[in-house]
Amino acid sequence: MLRLLSSIYKELLVLIRDRAGLAILFIMPLVLILIMTVIQDATFKTVKEVNISMILVNNDKDSLGEAISDGLYASEFFQIVEEINGEKITEETAKELVAKGNYKIGIIIPERATDAIRGNVNALINKSFKSFNIPGVKKRTKKSTIDVTIYIDPAISNSFKNMVMSSLEEFTSQLEIEMFFRNFSEAMAQLMPDQKPIKFESFETIKYQEVYASTTEKEILPNSVQHNVPAWTMFAMFFIVLPLAGNIIKERDDGSAFRLKTMPGSFVTVMFSKIFVFLGVSFVQFILMLMVGVYIMPALGLPQLEIGPHKIALGVMALSSGLAATGYGVAIGTIATTHEQAATFGAVSIIIFAALGGIWVPVYVMPHTIKIISQFSPLHWGLNGFYDIFLRGGDLMVVLAEAGKLLIFFVIMLGIAIVYNNYNKTK
Amino acid sequence: MQENQHIIELKYLSKYYKGSNIPAIDNINLNIDKGEIYGLLGPNGAGKTTTISILCGLFGPTSGNVFIDGMEFQHSSEKIKSIIGVVPQEIALYPSLTAKENLTFFGHLYGLKGKHLKTRIDECLELFGLEKNANRRIKTFSGGMKRRINLIAGILHKPKIIYLDEPTVGIDVQSRTVILEHLKNINKEGTTIIYTSHYMEEAENFCSRVAIIDQGKILTEGKPKELIAGKEEYTDLESIFLNITGRALRDE
Repeated sequence: MLRLLSSIYKELLVLIRDRAGLAILFIMPLVLILIMTVIQDATFKTVKEVNISMILVNNDKDSLGEAISDGLYASEFFQIVEEINGEKITEETAKELVAKGNYKIGIIIPERATDAIRGNVNALINKSFKSFNIPGVKKRTKKSTIDVTIYIDPAISNSFKNMVMSSLEEFTSQLEIEMFFRNFSEAMAQLMPDQKPIKFESFETIKYQEVYASTTEKEILPNSVQHNVPAWTMFAMFFIVLPLAGNIIKERDDGSAFRLKTMPGSFVTVMFSKIFVFLGVSFVQFILMLMVGVYIMPALGLPQLEIGPHKIALGVMALSSGLAATGYGVAIGTIATTHEQAATFGAVSIIIFAALGGIWVPVYVMPHTIKIISQFSPLHWGLNGFYDIFLRGGDLMVVLAEAGKLLIFFVIMLGIAIVYNNYNKTK
Repeated sequence: MQENQHIIELKYLSKYYKGSNIPAIDNINLNIDKGEIYGLLGPNGAGKTTTISILCGLFGPTSGNVFIDGMEFQHSSEKIKSIIGVVPQEIALYPSLTAKENLTFFGHLYGLKGKHLKTRIDECLELFGLEKNANRRIKTFSGGMKRRINLIAGILHKPKIIYLDEPTVGIDVQSRTVILEHLKNINKEGTTIIYTSHYMEEAENFCSRVAIIDQGKILTEGKPKELIAGKEEYTDLESIFLNITGRALRDE
């Protein structure tokens, strides 16, 4: 016990006296979490808040053009530009401006587009009447397709493009329904002149109510902070692998490890002291990062991090994530022969673990094979556990499975380090 | 446990590193008695470090047996480690810790504690003229001071056997003299010393017996004076060394 305590004290002294290293250990994760959350905040904002500029060239001057124009203006999602320096934008100019990246989207509504819709609607009404052996009453029944051209900046995100397309489809389908109903009503009036024409009224029969599913009574609103703080906290905590592996390699390089191996007390005692100290560091990092979410992010105009009621679950997840990270650091530090090897392999492998874990792109959108591989990423387990707490209101029982996986990972990593160390003795 | 006066016994000891067909140690038999200062001399790559590493328990031999005070590492690793002290050639200390903090840490690992440890640290620091620098960080020490602290860290627990790997390399005459004098005093108290060096003159004066090894084999062994007297052309240990190991340059 004295050996372990003394080793822990020595590790603490070495750590505390490396002021620059200490600053990097605590300041860099905070900078990382702040920057990443602020950057990623935009993707969580509604399109209304982002307000992207868009060119509209309305050559129709009839119902379709009006419907699209009114819909776009009314949505407030976009900043609509139809003129530049008092001059109407043409299709060519629109294409050029979007190609240059000055505008993200350019919508070109062709001439006589409404006439084309009207012809299509009338043809449909006549066809319906004919099925009841009623002669067609509508004229101008030419069926044709309408090509609304949309110029898209290649740099634009797919999700934004899809949002614009679905908005346009919504405006046009509403117009088609209205036109069909109005024309149908007019046709009926022609057949039954005594009847009062039916006036079209828009109505909503289905309303969508968004409720974020949570196991607690209180609904947790997902936002950039609730998503990003746990994600980047996990990522930053795993970066403890680098100083820990570096510490082990430095001890080996400066000969201290040689002396330690010739002294009573096993390799495990020395490693446990390092794990204990670096686990403490990762836990402090975790608390600091949560404090940034709670106190500093609101001051920067971001939502405040809601920690929720399950503090024990949070503590268990923090400790198991810290243990997984330190175990990984011990394994890399034991196996790598140089600082360069440890730093390169450590950093790249953490980024791979993070990518597989869903830190950047959610696992549910990944290809099937990657989804299977991601199940073996410790950052995936950690992120799932933290999302259970921060987004789904999960308690200790909910996160036990993920915490267990992280602990098993820690044991495996430590086992690898011990086996490798013993293997080295037989060289 | 074997009952004999040899504190170290090497029996038919061989070591092949993995992937190598050339033995680093080739069937060595060696007995070192209690209270000896035994010098392992040889050119670079002769097998000195491999021998010392096996004697410290860093790794095992490919074949043969090692008995330390009658015990073998396979069965009594912890016991053996508690009776040996190692002074590596590198300054195996924590540069950001003070001399006292380093020694306290290593003392604790040897099981020393409390007042006994404190007294022992003070005693050693005074013995090697470092008492005024006890609270200075190692990284601020001169080369000679670092060597002395490196030595103290290996003898703090009063081991039965001390392994010294080039303990005086790269230091001034004053530090070298202090180190060798104190090592002789420690030896007089009954401690066995196993020593490697490239300084033949130092080895000749310091060691009670020496073995000159090359290519993993012991080429000659005995008391320095007896070896020198063995042939007319031998004037000192260095002439013997050059005569039997040759003048060809050696790489590690």
